[in-house]
Amino acid sequence: MSPPVVQDRLQAKKEVRRIKNLPTVPGIVAKISRMVENPETSAAEVGRLISQDQVLSAKVLRMANSAFFGMSRKISSISQALVILGFDVVKGLVLTSSVFDMIQKSMAGLWEHSIGCAAASGAVATLLGRDDAEEILVAGLLHDLGKVVLALNLPEEMKIVREKVASGPVLFYEAENELLDFDHCDLGQWLAEHWNLPESLAEPMRLHHKPEKAVLKPECTAIVHMADIIIRAKGFGNAGDILVPPISMAAWEMLGLRRTDFLPILEILEPKLASLCDLTSIN
Amino acid sequence: MRRIALATAAPGQILAEKLTRHDGVLLANQGAEVTEGLLRMLARQNVETIMVEESDSRTPEEVMADYQRFRDDLDTRFVRADSQPVLMALKKTMIFIAEKDRDETLALLAPLPSADPAGSAVSPPQG
Repeated sequence: MSPPVVQDRLQAKKEVRRIKNLPTVPGIVAKISRMVENPETSAAEVGRLISQDQVLSAKVLRMANSAFFGMSRKISSISQALVILGFDVVKGLVLTSSVFDMIQKSMAGLWEHSIGCAAASGAVATLLGRDDAEEILVAGLLHDLGKVVLALNLPEEMKIVREKVASGPVLFYEAENELLDFDHCDLGQWLAEHWNLPESLAEPMRLHHKPEKAVLKPECTAIVHMADIIIRAKGFGNAGDILVPPISMAAWEMLGLRRTDFLPILEILEPKLASLCDLTSIN
Repeated sequence: MRRIALATAAPGQILAEKLTRHDGVLLANQGAEVTEGLLRMLARQNVETIMVEESDSRTPEEVMADYQRFRDDLDTRFVRADSQPVLMALKKTMIFIAEKDRDETLALLAPLPSADPAGSAVSPPQG
């Protein structure tokens, strides 16, 4: 087994900061954030900015019209998406569309796991009657972005983690922590800081395996934690290992879920997963 | 169910979801049979893809083999979950759904009632 290139957390963080190709793409996300902070900005203005990139707009509209959101009317423009889904959701979809190629190239099956986790997040949020189900869904979509960084920017580390996972019933993050002293949640956190992502995305990225530690968005993080478990239980996509991770009972109890809730959650989820197959390639 | 391009749809297929126009007007209900007329109307409405039910061409033996593979995969995925009752409730719910699907499929393949081929079914967790 080859020794890890990155030996400690500090060096890993430096590696993440040196990443050249990641920050350029979501530049549009930063622009949107700045525009949204200005109360004078209208949906039409933000819509015009996104619409300048036709490929990006098409990807965002395809996701906005997918089974994720179950819209009865087709969303035909970015401005309309902004009005119906809200700034934060569209911003999340822009980010997702921007990094889609990277997610696909990083690890076979990770995109499927991501959209599956998003759909499961939406299903849990719907069952709980959350009025921010769309935002939570986007958090599910991006929760494993740290794995993209690991695969694309730290390939030697990714290789030894995969070897460890293949050797026995080991979770991906356990192998990362044992071999690297950091995991994809840390990478996600550093990336979220670097990109200045909102806490509704950053905290689930950082704490979806330790949701009991979430402070700013505890319920959103707990829902993504549950969704990750459910989609892994279904074996949909590839999260890097084949195991159902341990559940945080603190998160379970905070959400007020009951064991009988699994049946309606799975009943909501199943048709959505079937409908989402056309999103497995949004190019 | 699966999503297919309208151009590849054929009469006799069953719609797996309702179809609505951009303004919300219903075009066809879930469960409707695809006909030549429906295809022409959907093309006029610029519908590009539809979701159809998949016909099952498996034999009963293949259905049972698929179910067994599902159970084996499930056991592998849940191998470290034995000590967590909530996770075991999730597993039990998934088995309940899979057994229901299996039995419904077998009933369609062999419409004449016969003895339960797979033994007692699992019920979903209570409480």
